[in-house]
Amino acid sequence: MKNKTSFPPQEGEARPSRCPDNSAFKQQKLPAWKPQLTIATVLSSFFLIGAFCLAVGVCLVLSANSVREIQIDYSDKCSDCSKLRENSSNWNKECHCSVNFTLKEDILGDVFMYYGLQNFYQNHRRYVISRSDAQLLGRNVNIQKSYCAPFTTYRNGTPMAPCGAIANSMFNDTIDLFYNLNSSVIQVPLLRTGNSWWTDKNVKFRNPESYNLSSAFAGTARPPYWQKPVYLLDEEDERNNGYINDDFIIWMRVSAFATFRNLYRRVRRIRQFADGLPAGNYTFHISYNFPVTKFKGRKHVILSTVVWSGGSNPFLGIAYVVTGTAATLAGFVITAIHLKLRKKKTYFQK
Amino acid sequence: MLSQENDGPVCSPSGYKKADDEMSGATSSADLDEAPARTIYLNQPQQSKFRDNWVSTAKYSVVTFLPRFLYEQIRKAANAFFLFIALLQQIPDVSPTGRYTTLVPLLFILTIAGIKEIIEDYKRHKADSAVNKKKTIEMLSVNFGYNLLTFIILYNNLIPISLLVTLEVVKFTQALFINWDIDMYYPETDTPAMARTSNLNEELGQVKYLFSDKTGTLTCNIMNFKKCSIAGVTYGHFPELERERSSEDFSQLPPSTSESCEFDDPRLLQNIENDHPTAVHIQEFLTLLAVCHTVVPERQGNTIIYQASSPDEGALVKGAKKLGYVFTGRTPHSVIIDALGKEKTFEILNVLEFSSNRKRMSVIVRTPAGKLRLYCKGADNVIFERLSKDSQYMEQTLCHLEYFATEGLRTLCIAYADLSENSYREWLNVYNETSTVLKDRAQKLEECYEIIEKDLLLLGATAIEDRLQAGVPETIATLIKAEIKIWILTGDKQETALNIGYSCRLISQSMSLILVNEDSLDATRASLTQHCTNLGESLGKENDIALIIDGHTLKYALSFEVRQSFLDLALSCKAVICCRVSPLQKSEIVDMVKKHVNAITLAIGDGANDVGMIQTAHVGVGISGNEGMQATNCSDYAIAQFSYLEKLLLVHGAWSYNRVTKCILYCFYKNVVLYIIELWFAFVNGFSGQILFERWCIGLYNVIFTALPPFTLGIFERSCTQDSMLRFPQLYKITQNADGFNTRVFWGHCINALIHSIILFWFPLKVLEHDAVFTNGQGIDYLFVGNIVYTYVVVTVCLKAGLETTAWTRFSHLAVWGSMLLWLVFFGVYSAIWPTLPIAPDMLGQAGMVLRCGYFWFGLFVVPTACLVKDVAWTAAKHTYHKTLLEQVQELETKTRELGKAMLRDSNGKSVNERDHLLKRLGRKTPPSLFRAHSVQQSVSHGYAFSQEEHGVVSQSEVVRSYDTTKRRAEIE
Repeated sequence: MKNKTSFPPQEGEARPSRCPDNSAFKQQKLPAWKPQLTIATVLSSFFLIGAFCLAVGVCLVLSANSVREIQIDYSDKCSDCSKLRENSSNWNKECHCSVNFTLKEDILGDVFMYYGLQNFYQNHRRYVISRSDAQLLGRNVNIQKSYCAPFTTYRNGTPMAPCGAIANSMFNDTIDLFYNLNSSVIQVPLLRTGNSWWTDKNVKFRNPESYNLSSAFAGTARPPYWQKPVYLLDEEDERNNGYINDDFIIWMRVSAFATFRNLYRRVRRIRQFADGLPAGNYTFHISYNFPVTKFKGRKHVILSTVVWSGGSNPFLGIAYVVTGTAATLAGFVITAIHLKLRKKKTYFQK
Repeated sequence: MLSQENDGPVCSPSGYKKADDEMSGATSSADLDEAPARTIYLNQPQQSKFRDNWVSTAKYSVVTFLPRFLYEQIRKAANAFFLFIALLQQIPDVSPTGRYTTLVPLLFILTIAGIKEIIEDYKRHKADSAVNKKKTIEMLSVNFGYNLLTFIILYNNLIPISLLVTLEVVKFTQALFINWDIDMYYPETDTPAMARTSNLNEELGQVKYLFSDKTGTLTCNIMNFKKCSIAGVTYGHFPELERERSSEDFSQLPPSTSESCEFDDPRLLQNIENDHPTAVHIQEFLTLLAVCHTVVPERQGNTIIYQASSPDEGALVKGAKKLGYVFTGRTPHSVIIDALGKEKTFEILNVLEFSSNRKRMSVIVRTPAGKLRLYCKGADNVIFERLSKDSQYMEQTLCHLEYFATEGLRTLCIAYADLSENSYREWLNVYNETSTVLKDRAQKLEECYEIIEKDLLLLGATAIEDRLQAGVPETIATLIKAEIKIWILTGDKQETALNIGYSCRLISQSMSLILVNEDSLDATRASLTQHCTNLGESLGKENDIALIIDGHTLKYALSFEVRQSFLDLALSCKAVICCRVSPLQKSEIVDMVKKHVNAITLAIGDGANDVGMIQTAHVGVGISGNEGMQATNCSDYAIAQFSYLEKLLLVHGAWSYNRVTKCILYCFYKNVVLYIIELWFAFVNGFSGQILFERWCIGLYNVIFTALPPFTLGIFERSCTQDSMLRFPQLYKITQNADGFNTRVFWGHCINALIHSIILFWFPLKVLEHDAVFTNGQGIDYLFVGNIVYTYVVVTVCLKAGLETTAWTRFSHLAVWGSMLLWLVFFGVYSAIWPTLPIAPDMLGQAGMVLRCGYFWFGLFVVPTACLVKDVAWTAAKHTYHKTLLEQVQELETKTRELGKAMLRDSNGKSVNERDHLLKRLGRKTPPSLFRAHSVQQSVSHGYAFSQEEHGVVSQSEVVRSYDTTKRRAEIE
């Protein structure tokens, strides 16, 4: 349309010229940056990336190695209990066992207690969808419409609260940690709250509104595998009871892996434990409720610290080291090729 | 999977087929041939109603649009498949990805396709033209099984639904670029290039065989008297200039339009005035040109318009007029000329007609001085046979004829003979007798003419230029360098076709010619077999040979049994010229090559007789702006000049091919990367069909987060500049041989994607396996892993697009960095909308946690790096080891840019030297084969050509006898 303005229409020229615009876009002549693989840029970037990755990788591996971790498989240590739990009719019989271990050195810093499950496919599709997030918001919703089935209602029509397979299968062992100091046994103080994501605790999980919690859940029943109803998950702490119970919230975040660990407790850093766990003999007192033999699973209890980079997993560091090595090697190979064929490359200068 | 049509290396990249769409009405031209006989009743109303001649080439009307469009779309296998998936997803509890994740993109795609159809159909309505192409994508059959349904839905995006949309948009834009190209705009007729379909852009980059019409396509259909040789002296011939013109680099020289197209040599008239020794001959020569012909002058006002049934004669008469010998009038028995101001009347006694057999025509006149004279013009060989022993200048003239022929000029020899009254009278008796014979009169007459056409005295020769369109030889030279085989299919005679072959430099004097002119099947078979045998081992390779075959022989050569040997022979020749072929034969030839050679064919023509071949070839190009519109209306691309073909193929075609293939490969790559990750995750989750990512993140992957890079690759990618593409036609071979897209490359990309997906999944998985990633000890869930992996995928895939991009325009930056940003913004927003909006409860708080995670940031660097270091290292190693032509050209471009234009201008500049060096290296041909079979004519052509209507109802002499222009002139006055 530029033509129209720049050239007044001539006599007898009825229609405007069909000449296309001479713009950089239409003529495909937009300015462009054309990166070139010159030998200098290639080699320098390869060696730089290689060196950087190697350095970071070594740091990460070293820091991951400094993490202290104790992992105890207790699925067989309480063999009586595991047998008892194989029969679901014994659901209301209590079973306790204890597991001893010794710390040869102090574990300093924040110490976290995890429970770990092996071969428990939380990531199975039918399992993952079996929940009602609307119900967990404390809303009075018709859970029949959710994917909770078959853990929706009992035969008499009483809805389960919370519904669904995830909630029903909640990990319900209780683990307490005792420090055996000179024949006296001190219970290690553990924090039950503050272990879940802020958004979960404050937005995603809400108890139904009522004057008290048990009335809020009136007309509902506990899921079949549970020993107590949801409003009795933590009788001591109102803000850790019902749907907003940390143990429950954490369980409801399903893991991507069949072997996973969930944060259970944190060591409260007071008195003897102000710096972490001192060296010595310890005992886990476990109320054994969660059956694992049915699915050939294992149960662990884990004590671990963290460092700036995260947990004890060295893989990230290894990945950096491998990538760095690969980049450096590639750099050397290209250098070799370049040197060998240098004559050929000076073709134009002849 | 997209199934490929061809098994060989040449694949149509999208699986799109060019085929006529049976839904749309046949085109008008097709109807013409098959119109049944009609009975017309006289003096009464017609009893049967014939179809009116309203031609509708548009596909839709307002009413039929929706049903027809939907039908068309659903017929595409891909869309049907997606509709099927969308329906499956409506079954509750089957879909892992939600109910609308396929339906919504499908509707989106249909909308885009609909808009495109509307725009294109609107154009059709406007142009009243038909472009009927349909796309088919075939797919592997899908097994059934309830459990499998989940998986089908999960992996349906491996056939990227977005690819189809992307391709539609990309190709549409490419077509627009063709329309917008100012280099293909012809200001004289105000015609821009026009892509009438957008589905064949990439085929323009793969053309191996070019079938061209001659008249109107290669030539302007204008004849000019250009040069002559009179009594051993040439006029209008400047060999020094010519030699320079023919040197290597065409682009340095002004285009041939600027040079004079008329005879322009003042020496001729000076020689007459200055009584040069040959002055008499010159006058005689010009008189002959003004007298010996069958042209009829028509006076309109003060100008004379010559009506010539032979364009050659027209050119000669006009040439003589320009030199002062004006043919002014014709009476039934005389010709009036104005020779340098003096009016002379020549009594025409006899016209000895032209025939292609005789290759000459003569007139017997009584000159104003009362002498009897025979003027004759014709082919060099027939004239030379009949020259008298006293005739001079034979050697010089022959030599000049050779020069003229080299330039592709049409030559005629000019001679005369003085007749004695006696001999004429004797001959006249014979003639009168012969002309009343009933049996074989034509032949008898020819024999009779033979008697008097003897003892001729040579005057010289004329050279007529059948004017080529601007830039034709340069274009052909470029196309030949690009290894495009050029076949000229013309209705013209062999001589004419040969001349054009020479003048457009398709054939050079160094080339051997194989002429095949037979008149029976057996003879044709024998001849073709003989030629094939003579070629021996060279058969099937490209030889420096031109094959010239005429339509009559072609009739036999195209028959089933001989076809193969004809094809073998033709494909072994560098150039093929088929002359005197009918429109049907044109399309038959194209069809034969198309079927037997696994290559893309292109036909270019301008007239109604080219419609067949234009429609038959893979790509049809019409020359627009000239006579009829039939060729244009049936073509896929319309350009105003043959020379624009160069840019259309070498730039637009090659680019489009590159872009489309890069776009397709990239789309496959990015989808394989994402969806194979789901497969890896299936190993972890017991093949339950659980997905690692949030469903809408997957759904929007192709629609938003990685939607832009394929567009920039498909629209703005250019491996090197337009100038380089034209300067190094060898670059065309890359696309022509489908080096950029074949089974190997496709699987290479898929395997690369597989490796990337392994890194992208297993790295983060192993890192996050122990679930302690935060310094506050908090745990993570499956979607946390998923979001991290997804972020890495988006970043890696966008950076990969960056690696594929050789020219980063601002749009490329926008696409690569913008896509990453889009995902980040979406991630942030999407992680905060539950429970305000009832979607994505699992996503709540994810963004905050992911961005707070140290592992995420460490991984964000190392995972894409690990993926891409491999790619870069591979490319760099290859690049260091051996630079492809493309890479060398790219390097050269960068250097030239860096050195600046000042250096380029400096003839001693290094950059120029380098360019020349590369040019020379590329220009170096394989040494010409020493092989010269005896059957191959190493003929020295003298360029004879003359066109004249023959065997008409009214003979030429009768025509000229029926005019009396003096009378009419008198009446008017």
